[in-house]
Amino acid sequence: MGTFELLAGGLQNAFALGAFLTIVIGLMVGVIAGALPGISFVNAMAIALPFTYVMTPTQAMLFLGGIYVGGVFGGSISSIMINVPGTPASLPACWDGYPMTRRGEVRRAISIAVTASATGGLASALLLTFGAAPFASFALRFSQPEFFAATVLGLISVIAIAKDRPAVSLLSMLLGIVVGTVGVDSTYGVPRFTFGVPALQSGIDFTVVMIGLFAVSEVIDLLATNRDLRPKKTAGQGLPIRFRDIWDIRGAIARGAGLGCIIGVVPGAGATPAAVIAYGIERQASPRGREFGTGVESGLAAPEAAKNATTGAAMIPLLTLGIPGSAATAIMLAAMMLHGVNPGPMLFLTDPTMIYTIFVAMIVANLLMIGAGIGVAQFFSTLMRTPPAVLAAFIVVLSVVGAYGVRNNIFDVYVCLAFGVLGWVMKRTGFPSAPLVLGVILGPLAERYFMTSLASSGGDWTVFFTRPISGTILLLAFLFAVWSLYPSIKGALANFRASREAEHGSRN
Amino acid sequence: MTRTAAFLAAAGLFVAQPVLNGPALAQTDYPSRPIEMIVTFGPGGGADLMGRQLARLLTNELGVSIPVSNVAGASGNAGLTRLATSAPDGYTIGTLIALTVSSWAGGLGDVSPEDFHVVAVVQSSPGFIFVPAASPHQTAEALFDHARENPGALRVATSGYGTMDDVTLQLLAQAGIEMTNVPFEAPSERYAAPLGGHSDAIYEEPGDVAQFIEAGQLVPVVVFAAERHPDFPDVPTAAELGLDIAELDIFRSIAVPAGTPDEIVARLEEAVVTAVASDEWQAFCQQTYTCIEPVTGEAAQEMVTGFHDLIARQLQN
Repeated sequence: MGTFELLAGGLQNAFALGAFLTIVIGLMVGVIAGALPGISFVNAMAIALPFTYVMTPTQAMLFLGGIYVGGVFGGSISSIMINVPGTPASLPACWDGYPMTRRGEVRRAISIAVTASATGGLASALLLTFGAAPFASFALRFSQPEFFAATVLGLISVIAIAKDRPAVSLLSMLLGIVVGTVGVDSTYGVPRFTFGVPALQSGIDFTVVMIGLFAVSEVIDLLATNRDLRPKKTAGQGLPIRFRDIWDIRGAIARGAGLGCIIGVVPGAGATPAAVIAYGIERQASPRGREFGTGVESGLAAPEAAKNATTGAAMIPLLTLGIPGSAATAIMLAAMMLHGVNPGPMLFLTDPTMIYTIFVAMIVANLLMIGAGIGVAQFFSTLMRTPPAVLAAFIVVLSVVGAYGVRNNIFDVYVCLAFGVLGWVMKRTGFPSAPLVLGVILGPLAERYFMTSLASSGGDWTVFFTRPISGTILLLAFLFAVWSLYPSIKGALANFRASREAEHGSRN
Repeated sequence: MTRTAAFLAAAGLFVAQPVLNGPALAQTDYPSRPIEMIVTFGPGGGADLMGRQLARLLTNELGVSIPVSNVAGASGNAGLTRLATSAPDGYTIGTLIALTVSSWAGGLGDVSPEDFHVVAVVQSSPGFIFVPAASPHQTAEALFDHARENPGALRVATSGYGTMDDVTLQLLAQAGIEMTNVPFEAPSERYAAPLGGHSDAIYEEPGDVAQFIEAGQLVPVVVFAAERHPDFPDVPTAAELGLDIAELDIFRSIAVPAGTPDEIVARLEEAVVTAVASDEWQAFCQQTYTCIEPVTGEAAQEMVTGFHDLIARQLQN
């Protein structure tokens, strides 16, 4: 059968009433779970897994795929509305999305976010449909040194997102890397910084840190300042969106989508680094880069497009190679295996109809997401009219449930609350907390890739530079760092020259 | 220190057994409420699939619901600590797998085999070495000859240092076949390494790489077992190649905290044995190449303790 016959079959299957409803329900569950602070789409997929037992394998994949697509977007709703990221990947949506809300442009911000997300998601679903095979072999060319280089690029982007004090951001990131080393090291199995506490052997999970630093600390801040969340103009109104607005930021969306597709297809990275790197690059690429953080449309759109572009791309290695690249795709693998379906190259031969139904479902899910996203956002906008005390209680409950749900571990709840206090202190003192979370996420990954690379090369560290892909990424990371620091370097040089001249002048 | 404390606690429970047995004897209506299944790894892995399949089938056998919680971390030790410290009343059961037992020998975790009563070992598979389809060494002889001539040149993807994978490679090295252990914590990256040509071979149980075997992307060259595997009759055993490496089978079992009353363990054991005999389970274990006659009672406990001692002895060398 040709591709288009298979696609037509997939189209027919995906639009059968049962299948279509499954996608819609999955999507709604995903958007709502994602939007609730503390509950991430990975949580939601794990909870949904037992429900898929009674479904057919294809239906199970449509359901989980819907939750995945919806959940990756949903996190941005709470980022934009109440400055609390619903999932780690929605962290950058706080930076320019929430300032727009404060200006009274909440509806516009949500519309931009959902359009960018859906465009990015659609781009990657199309990539999945038409480019799965070549991209799968592209992903296989990445090995541990390349993963390490990509992680370094992610860490470097912290400098780019730092508003004006790269040194402080760097310090915060290093602190995060230290937090990430707690627990059993992944190479030699040696417990580090566990102080004899068995619970610390499992390490500190980045989702728990994120919930603490952003959700719990926001609650403390909300209560301490007795701030009103109500924006200047009443919620639900704001500036309407025009096609022009989206057209103006098409460059940002395209860049974000492209980046997300590339990062998503590589096993191991995922939505969060993609969103952060996209923000960093957009800040440099956009002519309004210096205004980022004050509610710039392209600063919101680029990371939104990037994170949803990882969804379809991440399913490429899952479906074509049988290799899940992230927690979300690992759950999909479990769902398939529990039904006796082994994803991988054989599946294309034994059951191509299922594969193409999934392809079509991913495309459909991204299109439906615009409606689902705006609908749920409407509902959530009532949150902003809720008195802060009620909202705070609501967020704390969800944070505790979410922190516990990551690994079903009560110790994680205490860690989360402790980071909540720390996050509030950081907020009050103006110490940036986002680089810390990135350190916790990327630090352990960088270490693991570094150690495995060295084990593979027999301790020869030049592999990072001599392998073409790895060397290129590291060079890009270096250029990116210089590019981001250029204003600071220029400023320092100008100061230096000025002081030299002043010295000169005084001598004459 | 903590281990001693845990052991004392376990010993204490043993002493307290007669007292605990008193009320437990009256508890003939076990199970009367939901049983929690602790899966000691995250969703999607081998332990998770076993736990979920078994929970599903046990639900029919025992007539109560069995929700699964994934308590991942520290090679399965986070979940086992939770299991060991749960009430020994049969309402908390968990997965105990070879990888975690080998991690104890490396000094990880704060539990030991004595902290658990192994209900049944339900899955087991010998380890294999696989080479990618494009490898120049398509037989064990060719692979090992190359390793003998070029010590350390061949890279084998494994699940880590201090695991049964590592011990197997150490035993091979002692026999003059020196290959480099490249540890991959994430299974997906481990499988991608030989497929992408970034490592020369991979140590794994066949079930975890079934899709790659079926597609002909990975070729099994040697099995570390006393006998040839029925599903891979053409693959020679290590013994046939003059290497004495066996009994490092990768097993998965269901355990309860030590001190759980015997009649409750017996009820669970009966249910597990029935569940494992079902068609559904047989289809599942065939798909993952892990079918065995379930090992129960003393033999199950000995299997875990013996595996632990073997790994510990080898790591000390």
